[in-house]
Parts: sequence; structure tokens; C-alpha cells
Amino acid sequence: MSAQPEKPPRREESAGLMEYSTESLVPFGPIHPALKEPEYFKLVLEGERIVEVIPRVGYVHRGLEKASESRPWIQNMYMFERTCGICSFVHSVCYAQAVEGLTMFQVPARARFLRTIILEMERIHSHLLWVGLMGHWAGFDTLFMWVWNDREVVLDLVEAISGNRVHKSMNTLCGVRKDMPENMEDRIIERMKYLTDRARYYRDVIDTEETMLARTEDIGRVTADTAEKLCAVGPMARYVGMRRDVRLNDPYAAYDEVPFDIVTRNEGDVHALLRLRLDELVVSANIVSYAVKHLPDGPIRIKIPPTIPAGEHSSHCEAPRGEIFYFAKSAGGRTPERVKSRQPTLANIPTALEMLKGQTLADVPIVLTAIDPCFGCMDRMSFFDIDSNKKWTWSGEQLRQYGINKYFPERAKRQLHGQKFSSAGLGFKEKF
Amino acid sequence: MPKKQIGSAIPEMFREMLEKPSTEAYPFKPIIVPDRFRGKLDIDPAKCTGCSVCSLVCPSSVITMVDMGIRKLADRELKVRKPVFDLASCIFCGECVDNCAFNALEMTKQFELATPNKSDLLMKKVFT
Repeated sequence: MSAQPEKPPRREESAGLMEYSTESLVPFGPIHPALKEPEYFKLVLEGERIVEVIPRVGYVHRGLEKASESRPWIQNMYMFERTCGICSFVHSVCYAQAVEGLTMFQVPARARFLRTIILEMERIHSHLLWVGLMGHWAGFDTLFMWVWNDREVVLDLVEAISGNRVHKSMNTLCGVRKDMPENMEDRIIERMKYLTDRARYYRDVIDTEETMLARTEDIGRVTADTAEKLCAVGPMARYVGMRRDVRLNDPYAAYDEVPFDIVTRNEGDVHALLRLRLDELVVSANIVSYAVKHLPDGPIRIKIPPTIPAGEHSSHCEAPRGEIFYFAKSAGGRTPERVKSRQPTLANIPTALEMLKGQTLADVPIVLTAIDPCFGCMDRMSFFDIDSNKKWTWSGEQLRQYGINKYFPERAKRQLHGQKFSSAGLGFKEKF
Repeated sequence: MPKKQIGSAIPEMFREMLEKPSTEAYPFKPIIVPDRFRGKLDIDPAKCTGCSVCSLVCPSSVITMVDMGIRKLADRELKVRKPVFDLASCIFCGECVDNCAFNALEMTKQFELATPNKSDLLMKKVFT
């Protein structure tokens, strides 16, 4: 039996706590009513104000990327769709685009428009869900119920088109599986007009209602410089004035054929996020109406062979939470050699920590909800050794070395012979 | 900036009070699902030829092919195989229905699949 590991020192040195400090430490999570998924934030408080936040991510690691290496290309689509339970379609579109880039086939125009329609409907339903949650955490439960009632409108449309409310299973490689049902055009346009009116009404409510303003104004302030330095994506970048949107900067699907403009705001607080997402909802409703009116004729999919030519390709899309990124590598077989996915919440965590600094403890739920977190999507890897009760994570350099060792064994061997092996990689366990 | 006030949503509240409830009386009234709804998977055993394409395309390995004996066709002996569905792990994507060349599979509109016994979801319709 091995020796018992030494107990860690009681004092939290990483938090900079002194023995007689006025600072106190409040654990937030992993299980907390404000967090829909387990994630841990160590809050260092001075009085009631937060001075430091130490996150600990990785609780919902599911092994999606490794599992994808043992499944055929087309079946991975359904698995990556289940990365997120809210914005599921955008994951399958992003994965499909990464794989389509490896083939020589083009997606038909009608399929691209249908993808755009479903993507924007998904953005509407995700933003409405978020507005409702914000109302809930601000103590305005009436707003929560109204918004979620209106969310049913768009979910009914999605169900009528694709056959399911959340996991549409509508995408396929080089096309979509379901065509637009007949006589749906008028219904969609009429419902989008209704949603636009409702979004404008909610915007008036959050602008004038004092209970909402008291909880959101001047909360979670970040400057544009900080957000840019910390690589914020999606609405978290747009609410400080950055024009950062993949739909506009690098159009995919049919976004280059649909006229639209993104919304930005300059205030940089939680109230600006509310305004921004409600304005984006109007933009999305307009995109859906335009795309439904100008839906081109033609086939909706191309049947492609089950093997994908060897190569590497990456793709990025604008999910409701920000930019998502997929990388696919093929060795010419029926299964991928490597698929990498990066979700927007991971990119927004550093900005969220900056938002939390200087806030009171009571504002933590509303600020953490404001970034629209999807922790289950973002968790990719962490290590636990049950025998020695150790937990550790890898740095970027260690991950790179591991990748070289795994996928290019010859190169790793050359490295071993050329120089004395000292860095991370093979000896990673001893190092920690 | 508009004027701040308390209770700006009260007119909406009165309007909502006059409308009928948004919730559905679900267990007492059946829910009408759209035409494309993907519910419980069903098979027509008479149409199924046992080609096993559905078991190959299934993303969650719901479908397994079971040997059902040997069929004689002229002077050849052919293995008869039929699919068995474990609906407990079905993700209702409909990929098997799309790929069935003989229209033997169908997604019904039935969605009440909750059961205390997991083996109830093992569909062995082909054996009967």
C-alpha cells in the first residue's frame, strides 16, 4: 500500500488569503440552483463584494470527441447535435460544414436556406429561454412565464418543420433531410411578426420596469478593451460594441444571400445584454421571414459516399451563445480520425470572471446567467487519479505534446532521439 | 431614456387574465402532434426482408439483427434475419426509416413510452 498523500494546507494560498484577512471564501457550486449544470466557482469576498473568482471547470466531461472516432461520419452528426440541449442544430451544421469541406460536394441552395431558417428559429428560442431565465433571477417571474409562453410559438414551428422540438435531427451531410412543409410560408411569416411585436414589447418592459432595472443596470460591467483582450465571443462581445459575428464576418449557410445587420450596444452591463438579445431576436425574425419568402427551388440534399477523402478542415458558426468551432480530420476512412469542438461558453468564462469582480454576492446568479452559460457543452477534459486522490489539468503545451505523441509517433520518436526528453507529455504524471 | 416606473406590465397582466390558459390539459385531453412528429418506432414484419441496413445506419445501436433460421430459395439456403429494437436507447432521429428501401419501418405518433420495466421497451414484434 502506498503512502498516504499529504493533506493540502488549509490556507487557500492560491486565493491570496492571509491568516487574519478580512476576506472570506464562498464556494459557489458545483450544485447550485442558479447553475443548471455543475460548475464550481470559488468566490473571494471582501465584505459583500467579490474581489477574486477562481473557476473550476470540467464536471460534465462526456468524451464526445473520443466517441466520435469510433462512429461513422453521418452518425456523428446525431451525437454532436446532442452536445447542447438548447442550440442543438448549430452544432450539427458546424460539424457538417467541417466534413463537407473535406468532400468535393456543394450543399444545394435550398438546403442552405432551410438551414438558415432553422438556425435563426433556434436563436429565437434560445434567446427567449434566456430572457425568461433572466426575469426569473431578477425576481420578475411574470416575465419568465410570458416569455416561455411565447417560446412555444417558435418551438411549434420547429416541430412542424423538423418533427421534433429540440433535437431536430434534420441535418445531414451535404443537405437537409426534411423539406419545408406545404402551406407553411404564411404561418411562419405571421408568427414571426407576432414574435417581433412581443420582443419590442418586452424591450419596453425591461427599459421602464424599475424592478428589472434595479437588478440589471450597472451590474456586470466590462470595458471593451477587457472583453477584446479576453477573447469574448457572441453577445458577450457585441454588448461592449465589438462587431464580432460569424454570420457577418464569415458568412456560412445562406447568410451571404440574406440582407441583415447585427446589433451592438455600448453600455457593457447586464441590462445592455438584455436589450441586445431582444434586438437580435427581431433581426432573427426578419431573417426567417426573408428566407421563407425567397426559398429557392431545387434538391434539398446530395447523397454522398460513406467514406470521406483524407484531409483536414475546420468550420465555425455563430451559435446563440457565440462562435462555435469544429475541426475534422479524415484519414480517408468511414470514421473520423479526429474531431475537435470548441464551445462559446469556454471562451466567455474569462470575461464572466471579470464581470463578477466588484459585484455583490447576491448578483452572482444573475451575472452567471447573463453570459448564457452552457457548461455541459464546454467541458472537454480533466484528470482524476482515484488511487492517489490527485486531480490535474493539462496546459496547452502539454496537450500539443500529447497530440504529437499520439498522432505522429515518428515525430515524437525523433524528438526523443534528438534531445533529452524533459518537457511534458510522456512523463506528465510524475510532473504533477 | 424612457421614464422609470413600477408596474409597467400591469396592462399586459389584465389582458392575459382574459385569455384562456396557456397550459394544456394533457393527461385528460390528448395532445395533437404535427404530421412529421417522430414517435415510437414501428415495424411491419411482412414487408421486412431482413436486409439489415437499418441496424447499420442506427446512430445509437438500437437495432440488432437476430437469426431466425434458414429459408430455402430454389437450391440455395438463405439465412433469415429480422431486426429487434431496444427502444430504451432510441434517439428518434428517423435515420432507419429514411434508409428502409421496403417501407417496413415507420415512426408512429405514439410518445407515451414511460414504463417501470425496461424490458417492455425491447420490441420483438418480428417474432410474433
